[in-house]
Amino acid sequence: MPTYQFRWDIIPNNIDFLMSGLQMTLIISATALVFAMIGGLLLAALDMSRYLAARAIGLTIGEVIRNTPILVQLLWVYYVLPIVFNIRISSLAAILIGLSVYMAAFMSEVYRSGIQAVPKGHREAAQVLGLTPFQSFRRIVLPQAIRFTLPPLASNFVQLIKFSSLGAVISVTEITRRGMELSSSTFRPLEIFTFVAVVYFFICWPLSMAIRIWEHRLAQR
Amino acid sequence: MPSSGPIIAADQVSKSYGPNEVLRRVSLPVAEKDMVCVIGPSGSGKTTLLRCLALLEQPSAGCVTMRGTTIASSKPDLAERRAARAVRPDIGMVFQHFNLWPHMSVLENLIEAPLRVKRMGRDAAIALAEQLLAKVGLADKRDVYPMRLSGGQQQRVAIARALAMSPQVMLFDEATSALDPELRREVLLVMRQLAAEGMTMLVVTHEMGFARQVGTRVVFMDHGEIVEEAPPETFFTAPKTDRARRFLSLFAE
Ligand SMILES: Nc1ncnc2c1ncn2[C@@H]1O[C@H](COP(=O)(O)OP(=O)(O)O)[C@@H](O)[C@H]1O
Ligand SMILES: [Mg+2]
Repeated sequence: MPTYQFRWDIIPNNIDFLMSGLQMTLIISATALVFAMIGGLLLAALDMSRYLAARAIGLTIGEVIRNTPILVQLLWVYYVLPIVFNIRISSLAAILIGLSVYMAAFMSEVYRSGIQAVPKGHREAAQVLGLTPFQSFRRIVLPQAIRFTLPPLASNFVQLIKFSSLGAVISVTEITRRGMELSSSTFRPLEIFTFVAVVYFFICWPLSMAIRIWEHRLAQR
Repeated sequence: MPSSGPIIAADQVSKSYGPNEVLRRVSLPVAEKDMVCVIGPSGSGKTTLLRCLALLEQPSAGCVTMRGTTIASSKPDLAERRAARAVRPDIGMVFQHFNLWPHMSVLENLIEAPLRVKRMGRDAAIALAEQLLAKVGLADKRDVYPMRLSGGQQQRVAIARALAMSPQVMLFDEATSALDPELRREVLLVMRQLAAEGMTMLVVTHEMGFARQVGTRVVFMDHGEIVEEAPPETFFTAPKTDRARRFLSLFAE
């Protein structure tokens, strides 16, 4: 490898451009997180429904989404949905839909196992004492389920942030896309993609560490 | 409200899981201040009977009545559902595995139902809880979480939690079976005290000595049926059926 002339000044010189991408990454991640958490809840409700048809639908949707690549889903939302439904979908809407749906399918599993981890006897004790099913769910099941659920949900959030970089392939102007654009105009991929990776790392790593500490605390209670 | 007649009764109750008939036309009235001990081999349907009385299982046939009102049957109508909801707090149940809520302190376990079901004031609920904890000998464990308690202590908390609803009848499903032998005594002592105070009780147990001393009636179940029913002294000294004799011989040492 010939001696490489690092040109790190390219980063500060284009920092506004890159940071606008970061802003977009954070907005997409936060929005998709909210949708995914709600969607996951709905999907989990279907999965645990009393009605066989609802369960069948929920489980099928979940299996299909979990067992196909997110990139393919994203391309499908962006290129196929508009044809099928004869609508226009912006690249931003496509990444939000794609990310939310994909992560919802994983979060529904987290919710489901969290709720099922609460022993049936706890609910029966509440039932015998006269608590309504809703009171029993809210006071007995949910607080325990949340404990089991929050750390894995947070890990899913880390995944979601990383997957938001896939928006680049459908030209969502998040930070990875900004990096691609900048590197093709400056021919400086090394500095630029290294910087982009470092940015992701310093968002995701503290989150992962926080989750680890959190899980440790929960285990000790 | 008639004062005579049973408080709670199983009337020709049958229960099937698929083709498996677990209870067969079981009739068991429990009168006020009765202390009925239900004994029988494992799998004979004792737990299922108790769960039907506690409204945790629905009978496949027959019905459960509380002071003459039907509260469970295979086809409940609206009035029956309403009656069931109304009497729920009057039926206390203690489980083999305690089923305390681990995310709540002992006190919180005790006041939850009085606060939310009876809409009792917080101060009153706490005062009641403290009084009941003192009664089961755990006044100092008020703010402890269940995980920090021994099995015997947990079961006593579970009994106090059930008592906090001022039930008219208490159902015990092998309340001491999950405990080490040295921890059973403290739970049996509380149950004995309850019986002495005149609590109406239906107790599934393998503690023959306890059944004999404390019971007012012994019911022997086998294969989903009540095979024999007698005062404890009669049952333990002169069982009428072969099945009961065989079962008792397993406990004779
Ligand atoms: N939810 C259930 N589904 C299917 N079978 C059950 C269920 N609960 C109990 N049984 C069966 O009913 C029979 C009686 O059980 P149980 O009432 O627990 O007996 P016991 O308490 O006397 O040991 C057993 O054969 C058991 O396998
Ligand atoms: Mg049993």
